[in-house]
Amino acid sequence: MSATVPPPPPPLTVTDLTVRFAGLVALDAVGFTVRPGTVHALIGPNGAGKSTCFNVLSGVCRPASGSVRLGEHELTRLAPHRIAGLGVARTFQNIVTTAGTVADNLMLGRHGLTKAGFASAALRLPHAVREQRTHLRRAREFAELTGLGALFDTPVGLLSYGDRKRVELARALCLEPRVLLLDEPVAGMNGAERDRMAEVVRTVRAELGLSVVLVEHDMGLVMRLADEVTVLDFGRRIAGGTPEQVRNDPAVLRAYLGTPATADPKPSTAPDATPPHAAPSGADQESPA
Amino acid sequence: MSDRTPLTPRTPPTPRTPLTSRARRPLLATAGVLLLCALPLYAEAYWLQIGLFAMAAAIGAIGLNLLSGGAGQLSLGHAFFLAVGAYGYAWLAGEPGPGLPAPLALVLAVCLAGVAGGLFSPVSGRVRGIYLGVATLALVFIGHHVMLNAESVTGGYNGRAVAPFELFGFSFTGQDPELLVLGVPFGAEERLWYLGLTLLAVAWFTARNILRGRPGRAMAAVRDSEVAASVMGVPVARYRSAAFVVSSMYAGLSGALIALAFRRIVPDYFGLVLSIDYLAMIVIGGLGSVGGAVAGAAFVTALPLVMARYADALPIVDEPGGPGHVVGPTEAARYLYGAAIIVVLRYAPGGLAGLLRRRPARARPEPSPTGTDPAAGAAPPLGTGPHVTPLPVPSAQRKESRP
Repeated sequence: MSATVPPPPPPLTVTDLTVRFAGLVALDAVGFTVRPGTVHALIGPNGAGKSTCFNVLSGVCRPASGSVRLGEHELTRLAPHRIAGLGVARTFQNIVTTAGTVADNLMLGRHGLTKAGFASAALRLPHAVREQRTHLRRAREFAELTGLGALFDTPVGLLSYGDRKRVELARALCLEPRVLLLDEPVAGMNGAERDRMAEVVRTVRAELGLSVVLVEHDMGLVMRLADEVTVLDFGRRIAGGTPEQVRNDPAVLRAYLGTPATADPKPSTAPDATPPHAAPSGADQESPA
Repeated sequence: MSDRTPLTPRTPPTPRTPLTSRARRPLLATAGVLLLCALPLYAEAYWLQIGLFAMAAAIGAIGLNLLSGGAGQLSLGHAFFLAVGAYGYAWLAGEPGPGLPAPLALVLAVCLAGVAGGLFSPVSGRVRGIYLGVATLALVFIGHHVMLNAESVTGGYNGRAVAPFELFGFSFTGQDPELLVLGVPFGAEERLWYLGLTLLAVAWFTARNILRGRPGRAMAAVRDSEVAASVMGVPVARYRSAAFVVSSMYAGLSGALIALAFRRIVPDYFGLVLSIDYLAMIVIGGLGSVGGAVAGAAFVTALPLVMARYADALPIVDEPGGPGHVVGPTEAARYLYGAAIIVVLRYAPGGLAGLLRRRPARARPEPSPTGTDPAAGAAPPLGTGPHVTPLPVPSAQRKESRP
C-alpha cells in the first residue's frame, strides 16, 4: 500500500518577510526555503520571531511586506482556512485543543477533506454517515501512529500534557498536510516522550513525504531531525545551513551565548548588563547541542 | 528506553460507561416518549396547553443552544426570529395574506426566519460572543417597531389571528373531523400536542446530529479557539453566520408553533423579555446540550403557568388585583428562575443536562499519565503500529495545491 509515495510537496519559499507590531519589528526581511520533503528547523532565542513566522505561514498574521510561496500559491494573501486547504497544517506552542474526545479533535482536522454540511449532517443522509465513518477510520490510524490509539474516545480535557501535545500533532496530520508546521512539539516533555515524538516526525516525513518546519528549543532534537536550520535573532535571520554549519557559526554562538567580554567594545563585567536577548534563558538551552 | 517491554501499560480501550447506564438510556427514552404520547388521553386541556408552549419553547431553545452552546455566540434577538416565524406563518397561511396551505406556510415561515437570520450574517459572521448579543438587541426593537406599524401584515398593536393548521383535511386546531380516541374527544389541544411532539422530535434529532457531526465539531472549534479552527480549515465567519441562520430557523419553527398554540399573536409578546427567557432556558438546561435545552424550556415556560394555576394555594403569590396583592405568579416565577440561574451557575455550570451526565470521571487506561513520568513514554515502538498509507484524498480536493 505504501508503495505509492505521494508526490513531493512544493517548496515553501519565504522571502523578505517583515512583520511589525505597532513599532516593534517582529520579523525583519526574513527569508528561507523549505525544500520538498525536508525537515527545516527554525531556531533562535525567545522573542526571535519564530512563532510570528509560524503565524504568517499559517495565515493567522498578516505581514507588512514580503512573501510566502508554496509552489505557485502566495500564502500571505490567503485566509487561514484556505492555507489549510492547500495542505499546510500546524500545531501550537500552547496547546489549543477543542472540547470533546480525541476523536472529535482529530475529526476537526478532517474538516477540509469532508463535505457534510448542516442539512446532510442534521438528517444523517447516507453520504454524510459514510463520510464520517471513512474519515473516522483514517483519524484512528493517525491516533495509532502518534500513540493515542487507546485514548481515541477519551475526552481531551482528561489527558495529560504530553498526550494533548500528541493530539495536536495527530490533528495536524489529519489534514493530510504537505507541509507540517510544528511549534515546539516536545516542549515540557520528558526524554522518552521526546524520543517518541521525534520518531513520529521522522516516520510521517518518511512515509508521507511531507515537509516539516520545526520550531524547537531542544537543540539535541533539532540537530538530530533537521536537514536544514535557520537561526533567527531579534527578527533577523542571522544564520542558516546544515545543523553542522549552524552549530559552529559565530553569529549563532553570539546570539545564544553572548559576546565574549573581551571582544565587546564596551566591556561589561556584570552579567545583567548583557543584552537581555543574549542571555539565554533556561528554556533556550534545555539540552545543549 | 531500551527496556520498554516491562512498562507497556497501554491496554486496549475498555468500555468506559457502565453497560447498565448505556442500556438504560434508550429504555428511559422510549418510556418518556410513550408517556408523552399517552398524556393527551389523561391530562386536561390546561396542562396540554402548558405542554404545548413548553414544546414550542423547547424548539426555540434548541436553536439558541446550537448558537450559544454550539458556536459560542450570544443572541438577544431570538424573540425577533420567533416573531418572524409566528407572523410569517400567520400571514402566509391566513387572511390577509396569500392563504397558502398550512404545512407549506409552516415550511416557508421557517425558511423566512432563516432568510432573516441570513440577512443579519454580515454582522453575525464578524461579531463574536457577547458583542453579538448587543448587536442582536437591535433586532428586537426593530422587529417590535415593524410589528406595530406594518398593520396589513401584522395587524398592528392588537395583533392578528392565526390560521388553523390543516394537513390533508385534518384540522389540528379545530374539531374537524371529529376524533374520539379511547373515549377521549380530541380537541385542538390534543391534536396540536401531537403536532408539537412531532416537530420537537424532528428538532431534537436534527440538532443532535448537527452537534455530533461535522458542522458541530467546526462550531465547537470556532467557540473554543477561533485561531485553531481557522488553521484546521474551518472558515470561521461562514460557520458563525451559518450557526446563526440555523438557530433562526429553529426559532422560526418555534414561533409558528407558538402562534398555533396561542391562536392570536400580539407584538408585545415578542419583546426583549422573551429573548432573555430563552437565554435562561439554555443556561438552566445546560449550554450545548439538546436535552438540556428542552428541560430548561419546560422549566422556564411551565413555571409561571403552573404557579398561576396554584396561585391561591401558594404563600405570598396571588392573582394580580387580589386583596393584599404582593407578587403575581409571573413575577414570582421570574424571581424563581432568576434564582435557578444563580444556583445553576454556582453549583452546576453544566445545567440540568450536566447534572444528569455527571458520572465518575472516566478512568484512563494508563496508570501514570503525567508528563514527567517515564512510563508515559513507554508506548510500543512505532514500527509495530499500523503504517500510514498515502493519502486516499480525492484528487479534486487537492488539485489546487499541485503545481
